[in-house]
Amino acid sequence: MSRRKKMLGELDDDVRQHIEIETRENIESGMTPEEAHYAALRKFGNPALVKEQVRDVWGWTWLERFLQDLRFGWRQLRRSPGFTVVAVLSLALGIGANSTIFSVIDALLYRPLPYEHPGRLVVIWATEPGHPDQNEAPPIAESVDWSKQNDVFEKIGLTSFNSTEPAAGLGAPQLIESQAVTPAFFDVLGVKPILGRVFLAQEAQDRAQTVVISDRFWKSHFNRDPKVLGKSFRISGVVSTIVGVMPPGFAPFYGQPTDLWEPINPQSARYSKRIDHWLMPVARLKAGVTLQQAQAEMNVIPRRLARAYPATNKGVGKRLVPLQKELFGETRGPLYMLLGAVGFVLLIACVNVANLLQSRTEGRRKEYALRASLGAGRKRLVQQLLVESGLLAMLAGAFGVLLTFAGIRVFLALAEGFPLADRITVNGPVLEFTLAVSILTVLLFGLAPALRASSPNLDRALREGERRTAAGSRGVARHGLVICEVALAMVLLVGAGLMINTMLHLQRVDPGFDPNDVLAMAVNLPEGRKYVERVPGGDWEKWHPAVNVFHQQLLERVAALPGVESAGFVSGVPTRWADHGSFSVVGQPPPSPDHRPQTAYTEASPGYFRTMRIPLIKGRYLDERDTESTPWVIDVSEAFVRRYFPNQDPIGKAILMRYGGYEVDEVRPREIVGVVGDVKQFGLGGPPTPFLYTSYFQQPVALIGGRIADHLRGDLVVRTTTNLHAEEPELVAAAKKIVAGLDPDLPVTGVTSLNQVMEDSIGDYRFLMQLLGIFASMALLLAVIGIYGVISYFVADRTHEIGIRVALGAQRADVLRLIARLGLTLSSLGVAIGLGLAFGLTRLIAGALFGVKPADPVTYAAVAVSLMAVAFLASYIPAHRATTVDPMVALRHE
Amino acid sequence: MLQGTLDLLILRTLLWGPTHGHAIAKTIERNSAAVLQVEQGSLYPALHRLIKRGLISFETGTSENNRRAKYYRLTPKGRRRLHVETTKWDKLAGAIARILRPAEEKVD
Repeated sequence: MSRRKKMLGELDDDVRQHIEIETRENIESGMTPEEAHYAALRKFGNPALVKEQVRDVWGWTWLERFLQDLRFGWRQLRRSPGFTVVAVLSLALGIGANSTIFSVIDALLYRPLPYEHPGRLVVIWATEPGHPDQNEAPPIAESVDWSKQNDVFEKIGLTSFNSTEPAAGLGAPQLIESQAVTPAFFDVLGVKPILGRVFLAQEAQDRAQTVVISDRFWKSHFNRDPKVLGKSFRISGVVSTIVGVMPPGFAPFYGQPTDLWEPINPQSARYSKRIDHWLMPVARLKAGVTLQQAQAEMNVIPRRLARAYPATNKGVGKRLVPLQKELFGETRGPLYMLLGAVGFVLLIACVNVANLLQSRTEGRRKEYALRASLGAGRKRLVQQLLVESGLLAMLAGAFGVLLTFAGIRVFLALAEGFPLADRITVNGPVLEFTLAVSILTVLLFGLAPALRASSPNLDRALREGERRTAAGSRGVARHGLVICEVALAMVLLVGAGLMINTMLHLQRVDPGFDPNDVLAMAVNLPEGRKYVERVPGGDWEKWHPAVNVFHQQLLERVAALPGVESAGFVSGVPTRWADHGSFSVVGQPPPSPDHRPQTAYTEASPGYFRTMRIPLIKGRYLDERDTESTPWVIDVSEAFVRRYFPNQDPIGKAILMRYGGYEVDEVRPREIVGVVGDVKQFGLGGPPTPFLYTSYFQQPVALIGGRIADHLRGDLVVRTTTNLHAEEPELVAAAKKIVAGLDPDLPVTGVTSLNQVMEDSIGDYRFLMQLLGIFASMALLLAVIGIYGVISYFVADRTHEIGIRVALGAQRADVLRLIARLGLTLSSLGVAIGLGLAFGLTRLIAGALFGVKPADPVTYAAVAVSLMAVAFLASYIPAHRATTVDPMVALRHE
Repeated sequence: MLQGTLDLLILRTLLWGPTHGHAIAKTIERNSAAVLQVEQGSLYPALHRLIKRGLISFETGTSENNRRAKYYRLTPKGRRRLHVETTKWDKLAGAIARILRPAEEKVD
């Protein structure tokens, strides 16, 4: 390096001296000093070029040149701050949007789950005969068989979803989020407690239980007291003693905060009947075992099980699914669709910047020509322009990272309760992605203008006046870019338009009841001793008469509150919850086990129908006369009648119900006494399905397995006499007081209006609509900037021509027409291409649409017209400016 | 003009002893009887290339009119290279000559 510096440092002297000697010789041969000097220079050639070539010899110049180009590029960008700001912000917007969506994709699909060797974790699902593609939870006891019979799994653990349970003994009555797991579950994930221990092999929920609490719960309820072990309180009435604390952030698998874990012992006699399927088995493959090997093994074991337990396992298969795929596989499609959408936004941004850059290179053609004639090579010019573009892209990338932070916050705010929200961050892979995208943008927007600027016929640019007439091919390219932009924006706008249309359709759906002025709140009785008793030797539980008393008194007292029209109680309000079961019709031959008629159902109190205003079609509602001692009756939905009693009068028919997943019929038949309107129990977008309502006060005293919880839990619905505003604090307080009067340990939660429940139920559609809306707005904004820029350039380029036209007597309108025609031609071409693209691409969101087809002509037309209107406005402003051109100024210009 | 040719001419010039840049240029001009017209400036990249490859070296001396100037000299490596290249060149020139001469004779 020092040698190089020395060599180059003396070069100036060498050259000067060389020229001096030559000059002197020339003088000696009789030239005047001036002549002699010029002759010497001529003979020497271009000193700058010579110096550059010598520098080339000594290498390192690429870095030197790069730094030089960087400095030069920076100066160029600073010299035109308007251009720089618009370009950087457009690109940053596109890059930020892409990185935001990528950060979500990374968190859900690519980043390994936070467990030991997460790639070896699989979920084991059962498949019922005849439904090989439906994943069902296998019986709990089966995990014991698998553990004994296989040699592909290291360990197998079971886990429930989160459930909300009332807790007492922790101050005020409150709800906690619990998860039931088998002792092996923590080992399967390879997570150890930070305090105490996890469950022992035989520990299980019974009269009393041990629990493991989360770090969050430890902090919020015990202020991280290390003496927390051994403390006890009641969960759903069961005395629970803390034996361990899990590390911070441990919340399998959905990122929802879990307060504590309760033990389940799959070996307990309770599950020996193999009829309870409510836990998800998660297994760890042995090291080196592939998914295929494990699946092969799990194709064999079920056959053995079918022989051993033909009643429950005949024809039942098993399917292994990698845990990460099980948890987030379904988000893949929508997320990649969104990535495609933001990809379009970025493309538009790139097109925009390419256009801006091109206008700039046009303006700088003389500079390039001059530099080329001074000996700068083509490669050098391209390199210098690319460095300038790269600088722009890197600035945009840096801003894009900032925007990604904001974007993630917006995304999570729009998607309430998004799974693994805290995993979505700007991390290494996201930054790498951003960098890659930024580099890609340089190639997209920087290369073409750079090549063009350095094209060989530069010398023409040196000639005066050339600029004015050489719009030709450059104009075509620029116009092509605008057409692309409009087309891409069109696609996103159509997507957003279809989603808006979907929302409008959903909001217009008749839910089958009147959600206005109805307040809903959850009142869940605990499964503790006060209300429930275990039946020894089996999975049956009995509820006490106290349950009926509670419900009756609650309804009576709430209905009597001032401002209350009526009150009802239901296992779950529409769109939130319903039970599933099957039935047989009394007096008809029993259906084959594989083809039992299926129905969804809820328990409802007599006041429920009036409160919800569910229309009565035929017969009567369940009412107060229907009690334990009178014949048991049900109301069925119209869809139920259509499916199971077509062209018959269902009134008077009786059925025997069977709780979903269990093989036991109810003892008493239930008689159909009424037909009510279809309710959108499974969401506004869903079709009407067979549905029936049983009475809260006509239920078997002994219920099987988890069935008891459905009887104890429910939503209180209250119709107010006046317009319901917000959450009606006085009414809520009064209702809470009534509940506390009946059971002081009972929390009331989830207070909301039914209108809000309906709104929440279409949250996924709204989320997609909002995201596509945001992306489409960005695309539109960028496209408008693009059109405006090109028309402005067109006007600036034609100032001379417009001046002549005006001088020759053209009217304002003529000038306007000239320019507006260009704007309209470009945008209508863009819209036409966009229509075709949208037609092909909107099929991808067909699954997210409701009430509107991907090729909905109204949406397409509306978007096309609005896009044209916006494009017209964007070209009108520069066009209007052109009409104010003073012909004298325009003609004098250059 | 071919780059290698200029390098060869420089080495050849320095065979007579160390000299400075301008003198090298003049010698080449004179010896090639102005057939090989070179922009004098292109001499310098060639000189630096040869220095980098170790074929010539330089020292700072005083020129005819008492100015400091670089004197370039052939290194042993350069001398060997000149020998090799000259041989090659002679062979090539001979070959070309043999090819061209019969044709010339025919035309004559």
